[in-house]
Amino acid sequence: MASFEFLKNTDWSKEVLSSAFGNSFWGFLGAAVGFGLLCWVIKGPDAVWMALNEDFGLLVDLMPRVVIALTIAALIWVMMPRDRMSALVGTESGLLGLIVATLAGAVTPGGPSSAYALLAAVAVSGADRGALVAYITAWATLGLQRILIWDVPFMGAEFAMLRFIVCIPLPVIAGLIARRLPLTLRIKGAQE
Amino acid sequence: MSSGLLVLILLLMLLIGLALHQRQDVGPILRRILEQFAMLVPRMLLAMIAAGFIAKLIPKEAIASLLGDDAGILALPVAVIAGLIVPAGPVIAFAIAAVFAKSGASVPALIAFITSWSIFAAHRIFIYEMPLLGGSFLRLRLLSAMAVPFLAGTIAIIVGLISSFGQPLLAQ
Repeated sequence: MASFEFLKNTDWSKEVLSSAFGNSFWGFLGAAVGFGLLCWVIKGPDAVWMALNEDFGLLVDLMPRVVIALTIAALIWVMMPRDRMSALVGTESGLLGLIVATLAGAVTPGGPSSAYALLAAVAVSGADRGALVAYITAWATLGLQRILIWDVPFMGAEFAMLRFIVCIPLPVIAGLIARRLPLTLRIKGAQE
Repeated sequence: MSSGLLVLILLLMLLIGLALHQRQDVGPILRRILEQFAMLVPRMLLAMIAAGFIAKLIPKEAIASLLGDDAGILALPVAVIAGLIVPAGPVIAFAIAAVFAKSGASVPALIAFITSWSIFAAHRIFIYEMPLLGGSFLRLRLLSAMAVPFLAGTIAIIVGLISSFGQPLLAQ
């Protein structure tokens, strides 16, 4: 019952390839080579090799996460009743909506791969822009898992607590600003 | 850091169980994974390499000297900009924050730095935000959240006037 016809569709594979190696890919390649050369000139070849070595370690650590996160995002994207979701989060949800989004962001576990995958899945269903901004700002500034794993051991519990407390109202403020900004928002894949 | 991976795996198992229960077609799921993978991974590799080089190039000590208590409120913009240009994950960002703390950076400056990094972290923008949500959302988010690290630093300055709570740990 599985439908894999798209795999044989050459238009589809061409589209995927062009999204993989589009303009911004070459921009990134240029940036990587440029900063590498700069690093070579200023800090010497040793620093370049050290940076590449660290990149490789990070990559080994990151790739499984990215694959799992993308699978999670795809599962959510396929299974989520998007029309009902957008009815739930789509309309102006008032201050309460921003507070709920802030709480959700603070407790979302995992790194950026899972938070952004979730955000993208909700965003294509046409969620309120203030809630989207509040959610990801809360995840970035108040994320409990990050605070426990990074802030506390590196900076101490007292500092971590102070940073958490001063940041509590800020995602809601960012969400309020997002609602008032006169920008049109076009989310990737939203027309699907 | 393996707790994050564990949570991801648990969530994945839960969703796979749900998909099996609903007898979902594997085709569209695989298609979505391949499309997103192609969009994300090649750029991510290059962004990571560029970020690794930039992290080596940042003059940590020179920035730290501008973040002391005597710099007062002027330390905030410096700290925010420093957070903006650290294009790397928490390992490097917090290592830099520790260097700043040891060189005598003030508490509000450290808070502004970490908050700014957590919001603007350039690698995250290039690796996840641009490919998954697009430039339109990025613009909206950056404009909306621009004030956040400044507000965090300012609130921390006000808190600092009434209490000395929140001194960073310098033991390591």
